[in-house]
Amino acid sequence: MPFRRRTLGVLAAIATAGATLTPLRAQAQEITLWSHWAAEQPKRQFVEEAIRRFQAANPGVTVKTTWYEKNALYAALRTALRAGQGPDVFYAEPDQVEYVQNNFLLDLTQGIDWDKVEPWARQIWTYNGRSYGLPLEAWTVEMYVNTKLLQELGGAVPASLQHTQSEFLELVRKARARNITPISAGVGDRPFTGAFLTHETLLMRLGKEDYGKLLGGQLRWDDPRVVDSLRFVRSLVEARAFPPGVATMQLGQSHTYFHTNPGTAFFPMGSWYTSRAFNPPDQGGQPADFPLGVMRIPLPDNAACPRCRTIAVGGSYVVNARTRHPDAARAFLNAFTTPEMGNLWLESVMVQTGIKADASRIQGARAGYFRQLAASNADAEYFFGIPLQILQGRVRDTFVQVVNNAFISGQASVEDVVRQMNAAQQAR
Amino acid sequence: MTSRVLFRAAAMLLITIWTAFAAGPLFWVGVISLRSTSEFMNSPYALPEAWRFDKYVTAWTSSGYDVYFVNSLIVVLSAVAIVTVVGAMAAHCLARYRFPGNRAVYFLIFSTIVLPPQITIIALFQTLANIGLYDTRIGLILVYAAVQLPLTVYILESFFARIPADLFDAARIDGYSEWATFWKVAFPVAMPAIATVVILNTILLWNEFLYAVVLIVDDAKRTLPLGIQKFMGDQLEDYGMIATGLMIAIIPVVLIYAFFSEKLIQGMTAGAVK
Amino acid sequence: MTAIDAMAAPMPAVAEERPVWAAVVPFLLPAAVFYLGLTAYPVVRTIWNSFHHVLPAGDDFVGMANYAELWADDTFWRAVRNTLTWALAAPLLEVGIAMLLALALYAKVPGARFLRIAWFTPVLMSYVVVGIIWAWIYNYDWGAVNVLLRTIGLDEWTRPWLGTTDTALPALILVTTWMWTGFNMVVLLAALHSLPSEVMEASELDRCGWGSKLWHVIVPLVRPTILNLLVLSFVGKMKIFDLVWIATKGGPLWSTETVSTYTYKRAFEWSTFDLGYPSAIATVWFVIVMAGVGVLTWALRQRQKLEY
Repeated sequence: MPFRRRTLGVLAAIATAGATLTPLRAQAQEITLWSHWAAEQPKRQFVEEAIRRFQAANPGVTVKTTWYEKNALYAALRTALRAGQGPDVFYAEPDQVEYVQNNFLLDLTQGIDWDKVEPWARQIWTYNGRSYGLPLEAWTVEMYVNTKLLQELGGAVPASLQHTQSEFLELVRKARARNITPISAGVGDRPFTGAFLTHETLLMRLGKEDYGKLLGGQLRWDDPRVVDSLRFVRSLVEARAFPPGVATMQLGQSHTYFHTNPGTAFFPMGSWYTSRAFNPPDQGGQPADFPLGVMRIPLPDNAACPRCRTIAVGGSYVVNARTRHPDAARAFLNAFTTPEMGNLWLESVMVQTGIKADASRIQGARAGYFRQLAASNADAEYFFGIPLQILQGRVRDTFVQVVNNAFISGQASVEDVVRQMNAAQQAR
Repeated sequence: MTSRVLFRAAAMLLITIWTAFAAGPLFWVGVISLRSTSEFMNSPYALPEAWRFDKYVTAWTSSGYDVYFVNSLIVVLSAVAIVTVVGAMAAHCLARYRFPGNRAVYFLIFSTIVLPPQITIIALFQTLANIGLYDTRIGLILVYAAVQLPLTVYILESFFARIPADLFDAARIDGYSEWATFWKVAFPVAMPAIATVVILNTILLWNEFLYAVVLIVDDAKRTLPLGIQKFMGDQLEDYGMIATGLMIAIIPVVLIYAFFSEKLIQGMTAGAVK
Repeated sequence: MTAIDAMAAPMPAVAEERPVWAAVVPFLLPAAVFYLGLTAYPVVRTIWNSFHHVLPAGDDFVGMANYAELWADDTFWRAVRNTLTWALAAPLLEVGIAMLLALALYAKVPGARFLRIAWFTPVLMSYVVVGIIWAWIYNYDWGAVNVLLRTIGLDEWTRPWLGTTDTALPALILVTTWMWTGFNMVVLLAALHSLPSEVMEASELDRCGWGSKLWHVIVPLVRPTILNLLVLSFVGKMKIFDLVWIATKGGPLWSTETVSTYTYKRAFEWSTFDLGYPSAIATVWFVIVMAGVGVLTWALRQRQKLEY
């Protein structure tokens, strides 16, 4: 197979050359990029700006981008990579260890200015001492709140930015009594958005170490602390806290459901909330004067780690191991690793990033939002990665179907969750 | 007599309900396709205030439907052309010549009609990837031709078998070769059946999704069913535009049906009545 | 048509006296290439796959390990149960309703031509289109089903039809019924029209009741057609993929998982990249479908003329 041999040859040549930032040859090269974020204007504009700057600095190299929705992108990548094809650079998230395991990714240990990247974010993309992905996006799980609605319910954002579980449950009941849906969520097209409340509660209740054991299969789901945490979420379900159509509601719809129609009090969501909500209202964004507040997930009684919360690396760019332009692809990724690009990301996307940046320098209309986000994350003890990025195979499938979907749509009881998760852990 | 009247009334009522049930969804989508998304969200079941035919232009030019439509056209028409010729040759041969294993070949081809596609899709994916035809329109065309081959042979064989032998004898006396006999005698005579399989295969392949979703990834090579699926986005769903896209996929098939309904129904019912 | 039937079928009427390989080979060759290359070989390769772990790096022989895992795979059995439920329920619904509709048109209700077109149209659409439309119709907030229920005051009946484990599969079965009944109706109508008119007139004169006329006269006469349609519908549902993939992806809680969607997930969506295990699923299903068709045709003792 001549193609494969040639690619291997190129790869070998790079390996021996040490593959540092060699100046790109002048001949015309086209790098193909497949990226998620087709409909997330801020991120898309950021990447397009980065491409403009990169192309200006590297005449002769062009980047051809295809924008996808996430599910369509993942489906396309799985078959394309399996067939030995695919784009030069593509979007990936760190849970996709199978890409590394099957040697689909180019080793990026060399050729990237890693000192301009947050060490923990690099760590998440590091396997066996080699780094494989450029962590553009980092995010935390926040409890977004409509502060005006909260006041109408007789509540307020506490100084600690965190309700206790019983306070929260009380607010949920008050909202229900006034026929307002308390919490928006949409799990119809995402495997993890329905699990935020559950896993953040588990993390605080168990502490980082035991929570890690739970996901790693060394702690069973019938542990009393786990059952306690599930009971809390179940009490919300029983108080009819979630939209009746939650099981089929899509992520985009759940945003609109929170901020526009019909409007809910709370919305537990990744901090990439902004990348949809800060679109113009006619493109699905929140109303211009929306009273957005940022809070922490309610605090469990007997929490082992009240300051614990999840931070995850989200959208990242990786290089196809079979690319014909490895130098150009590396150089393209490295163009993102400057403090200017980091700040541009923060300013335009309003989500955290794995690139080192200075959030205090953010100016402009949205600076207030960033202060809120920082306040919510003050003194946080981070656990790295959401469960989906840690679980594999059958446990993962069960987690998606049961915890993410059936549990919050009221179709699985606490006992069902415990039984099914334990069974799935044993089956692996 | 009253019972008879009541029976009639009940039957008419049920027929009306079934008709609303059967035709309602298409009518509804047709209406949405002419309304904007915000109009639709305000009142999902209203008629258009303004008939926005320009949405079809927008879908066509700026949402990529022109590309998907042309891809569908290329893939489907090529596959249908190939399968018609290849299938007709095989069907003619099986219907006309006596040779050992004739019925075995016929049965082998015929039995694949009921083959579940999963049994081939994984290996087809591997095979096309090996020979460099993965993610190419040619690969999809060849696969489509292979998928429709059994049905084509089946329908055509039963028709060719009914062509009177005298016709072929006359052709031989006139000095036609076997090859010429097929093209100049059998093929033209079988035109009604050929038309039936062409129309039937066109519709079935126009709507095909599973093979396409596995074998095509490049956006520029997507067929319509894939293109539509791509617009099931995760952002604010643009229902109005999706509906327009759905109609773009439906309209050609409905047109074919409108013009060739008898042929199409013949194809779909071929044999099932026997 | 079973193997025996096919073998026993009369040989082509036009017999040539001399061997005709010179003519046969060129005519059959293209079809043989397509058949062997893109149908037979993939089947064999899938079966071969099923005894291996098929990873991008290479294949490992694992013997019966995939089959052993399959035997203990709850999700697979769930998918089998769902698919069989679908494949057994849908044919009865489709053909039953279609029979009534065909009789209505046969009795020349007003507007028969329009009705035939209206009823037939759903089958022209692709499952992708149908899946999107019906996901909207079943939408909790503004879908037609719930809107209708609220209008007639049955608010407590409203639910996310595709998001509830009890209703998701029946809701999808209703979609296929909606889609295929018109097709079955047209076939049955053609069968009715091909009946000798004296038979129908005779039963008309007998003035026997509608029900008994239907059951004792009409159904037996079109029985072969009905049986063919049942098998056809059965086979179609055993393969079903697109509709589920677009509307529910097998959820919630695997309640609409079919063998096809599970095979696809394991082959192209799960993070394992292994093609061996899904090949084992496909192989088992291939055997079950073929056996099912064989048993049905044998049991019904009818010449099957299948289309799909």
